[in-house]
Amino acid sequence: MKKFILAASVLVAVYSCKKEAGKPTENTTEVSSEAPKSTHKIVTLNGGITEIVSALGQEKEIVGTDVTSTYPESLKATAKDLGHVRSMTIEPIMAVSPTLILASEKDINPELMGKIKSSGIKSEIFKQEFTVDGTKKLIADVAKAIGNTDYQKLNDKIDADLKQIQPIAKKPKVLFIYARGNMLMVSGKNTPMASLIGLAGGENAVNDFEDFKPLTPEAVVKANPDVLFFFTSGLQGAGGNEGALKMPGVSQTNAGKNKKIITMDGGLVSSFGPRLGEAAVGLNKLLIENTK
Amino acid sequence: MKTQSKLYFYLTISAILLVIIAVWSLNTGVYDFEGKSAFEVLGKVIKGDQDLSLSDQYVVWDVRAARIIMAILIGSMLAVSGTGLQGLFKNPLATGDLIGLTSGATLLAAIAIVLGGHFKQYLPEVIQFSLVGIAAFIGSFLSMLLVYRISTSGGKTNVVMMLLTGVAITAIGFSITGFLIYISKDDQLRDLTFWNLGSLAAATWTKNSILTVVLIISYIILLPKGKALNVMMLGEKDAQHLGINVERLKKQIIIITALMVGSCVAFSGTIGFVGLIVPYILRLLFKSNYAFILPLSAVCGSILLLTADTFSRSIVEPSELPIGILTALMGGPIFIAILIKFKKSL
Repeated sequence: MKKFILAASVLVAVYSCKKEAGKPTENTTEVSSEAPKSTHKIVTLNGGITEIVSALGQEKEIVGTDVTSTYPESLKATAKDLGHVRSMTIEPIMAVSPTLILASEKDINPELMGKIKSSGIKSEIFKQEFTVDGTKKLIADVAKAIGNTDYQKLNDKIDADLKQIQPIAKKPKVLFIYARGNMLMVSGKNTPMASLIGLAGGENAVNDFEDFKPLTPEAVVKANPDVLFFFTSGLQGAGGNEGALKMPGVSQTNAGKNKKIITMDGGLVSSFGPRLGEAAVGLNKLLIENTK
Repeated sequence: MKTQSKLYFYLTISAILLVIIAVWSLNTGVYDFEGKSAFEVLGKVIKGDQDLSLSDQYVVWDVRAARIIMAILIGSMLAVSGTGLQGLFKNPLATGDLIGLTSGATLLAAIAIVLGGHFKQYLPEVIQFSLVGIAAFIGSFLSMLLVYRISTSGGKTNVVMMLLTGVAITAIGFSITGFLIYISKDDQLRDLTFWNLGSLAAATWTKNSILTVVLIISYIILLPKGKALNVMMLGEKDAQHLGINVERLKKQIIIITALMVGSCVAFSGTIGFVGLIVPYILRLLFKSNYAFILPLSAVCGSILLLTADTFSRSIVEPSELPIGILTALMGGPIFIAILIKFKKSL
């Protein structure tokens, strides 16, 4: 009996504290009157989409993003980081009172998609194809969704960038490795990374499976890559160059023997947005340097 | 009669506490109703007020209220299933997750999700819609039968056998579920954490109505069985002499707990330890009087899970902790406490 009364009073106390503390009031940023188009409050749940909206000059309208939206960095100050799309729930999204939610089909889980659909907030879920044409189409689709017709310049920039790619006489075999939890995964064919490696004049080292699969020593030896390719953050996680060379099987490969390891920023190479050309040129340069 | 009124008194107190927690939970969250309390908004939703913004209405009704009700339903059923099993096995360690019911349910639910697409079209529509739920029930039911068959002989349950069977089922379930997750594309079984640590984030009113039906059917059969379980403590032979149909009682408990655990797993993944913590605390207060702890665990389970869920979604805003982490955090120490207390008798 006493225990119950005690527990109840503690709870009441906790509850009243909570009420007094109140919630931090949301800052609704005043939208400047210079903006020529109708303004939205956009939540973007994919790095590429975030980049597209920003590159179209509507960065100010983004009120919330997911964890993969690392570029442009100025967003950190203006948009709320809603965390990882996989574990996201609807309420934090609603809390930034968006008028438009943009996401890609492959990232978002069906439960959240259902909740977004039934929340009554306008949303666009895009199919993202990891090719040059797919990226251009995504740019056009996103532009349409936010009422922007001025997107051709982004596509022109991708084309202009891609023209700078130097062909490589002997295509280097590139193995892309990333850490998923504590498992090292390598990218097979038909993955975004394989597509980018192809654009940059290399060849994806693994061609006998699709998607990402855990790295096994035998598979590494069999693939015999000329270059190992990591996200900058991923290589640190794997223990730097030292650690990468010690990975099982690596020492038997050309990349291991010649210590050819390259890294690029994960956001740049995996978002397949307006900086696709830039990413391909960057990778192309690194491959040329490492195949001499 | 005196004990009866005592029971109602405790039930009332617990129910009031549950309502207080529900109000607190409704007011907890990152969404801001611009000066109104969530409670006011809920009042407007119920009254059908026209000048309510759609977003406010959605967050209060379809997000928070749905989730609170789901926590109440699932917490209640998990606690009662634990209490029922402990009465059946006459042992404080018997709970759905320890003897492998949850793993069995998870396993078949995972199979239904990953492979269901291949044979779905051959099933009647009603079953298609609730395929995962039915699969989870079958999984927990089969595990239950297996555990009971292996660990019970001559009406006596060998606890060590019971727990080891649970370990075996859990191991098999975990490996096959892991394999399914490995072969599935991301869009099917995205979240290993959902199955291993549970979540109430996907609560909807449809799911709640299914759970409510399961709860009502289960409680009509199970809750009046407190006295019979008390008599069972004397041993099955004595209970039989006193006019209890022991075999029938056992069958009922087996089917009902499997049904409850299965449905809970199907909708919220694996939320462990609720069936262990709640009966344990109640046993400290009321000894092993099942006439008391069976109905009380129904309310206290809700209190526990609703509190845990509200914390899980408010500690690390804007994301949330998987609720299984919190229940395991509470349950682990209690499990050890039980082991120490019953060291001699196990």
